[in-house]
Amino acid sequence: MRLEKLPPDYAKRLSELECPDFTTTPWVKGPPLDERRVAIVSSAGLTVRGDRVFRGRDADYRAIPSTTRPNDLLCSHISINFDRNGFQEDWNVVFPLDRLGELAAEGAIGSVAATHYSFMGATDPVQMVDGAKEVAGKLKADHVDAVLLTSV
Amino acid sequence: MSALGHYLEEEGIASVAIALIRPQAEKTRPPRALWVPFELGRPIGPPSDAAFQKRVIRAALGMLVEGGGPVRIKNFPDDDPRESSDRTWHPPIPPPSGHGAEAVEEELRALASAYAASCTRRERTTVGLSGLPPAVCGNYIAAWLRGQRPESPISDMSPALALRFAIDDLKAFALQAALSPGTKPSSQQLGDWLWNETALGDAIQALRRDFLAGDDERLKQLAFFFVPTLRIAPG
Repeated sequence: MRLEKLPPDYAKRLSELECPDFTTTPWVKGPPLDERRVAIVSSAGLTVRGDRVFRGRDADYRAIPSTTRPNDLLCSHISINFDRNGFQEDWNVVFPLDRLGELAAEGAIGSVAATHYSFMGATDPVQMVDGAKEVAGKLKADHVDAVLLTSV
Repeated sequence: MSALGHYLEEEGIASVAIALIRPQAEKTRPPRALWVPFELGRPIGPPSDAAFQKRVIRAALGMLVEGGGPVRIKNFPDDDPRESSDRTWHPPIPPPSGHGAEAVEEELRALASAYAASCTRRERTTVGLSGLPPAVCGNYIAAWLRGQRPESPISDMSPALALRFAIDDLKAFALQAALSPGTKPSSQQLGDWLWNETALGDAIQALRRDFLAGDDERLKQLAFFFVPTLRIAPG
């Protein structure tokens, strides 16, 4: 987002939102991209139709199988201050599963994870720690070694 | 989002975040982040532009095999071409002739065929958070607009929470109806239409004003999730 395009007060509010203060700087290396198994982890409050929608600043997460079809993915993020028309027209704007599939078919990445995950980005990140650890365990079980994090 | 990168990386999984607000990424200091200049809600860029989207993803994933970290934040250089208006796009229905509950119900009926056609053409709808058909969402909102306090139509949701999701669904319903074939409207165009030229947008603004002026604290809190900050009508 080019903050200079927004009214100054609003841009200031966005840029000054409180963020967690991390003291560590983890850095994991890995094999070449064409050997990586890639998952999407989104903070867009995505849910598969029929699953529990995020009702507020929930700290847990939702699983999104790779077999999910575009018509079955909903966005239940609590914030109304971001565009939803892009996602409505094309889910890849937020959840680029088709694009990852194409990159895998082209050999640019090794493979696409069997399951992807979504959190509710408006939640205090500190409350997401347990959920994130749980997701990490599930990603490892799926042999994922690269995560594309998408926010809205 | 960048915080999740920290948590996953601490657990041994490499990650790269697509960051929309650069100062937030700078403060969170994730292992890797690609800042993109796109509007909020569009981390991968323009809809229906696979080539552009793939460039964004390649740039992000490429950071996984580049050195220079920890804490690398790169900029994606190109703007979203879909931020430009499409002059061939037109609203699906004329502006409403009235306001309030009846105007909303009439408008939803008028939009129904365009919505159905859009669903068929796209094989998709993003309506569904409430689990109610759009017409039922419309009736529920209309009851609130008439000053009633209807019971929740959703068994495990309070009336207020059901209202929030019904409003979300009707916004999605109207905007999906507005996605006419062969056009590429910007989000600005679609937002201008919804908030300035529809009975639904007008009604949501009215509910927001009423709730904020009332005594019910729960409804006051709920009202903050009706209208985007930059679309709040004066007064």
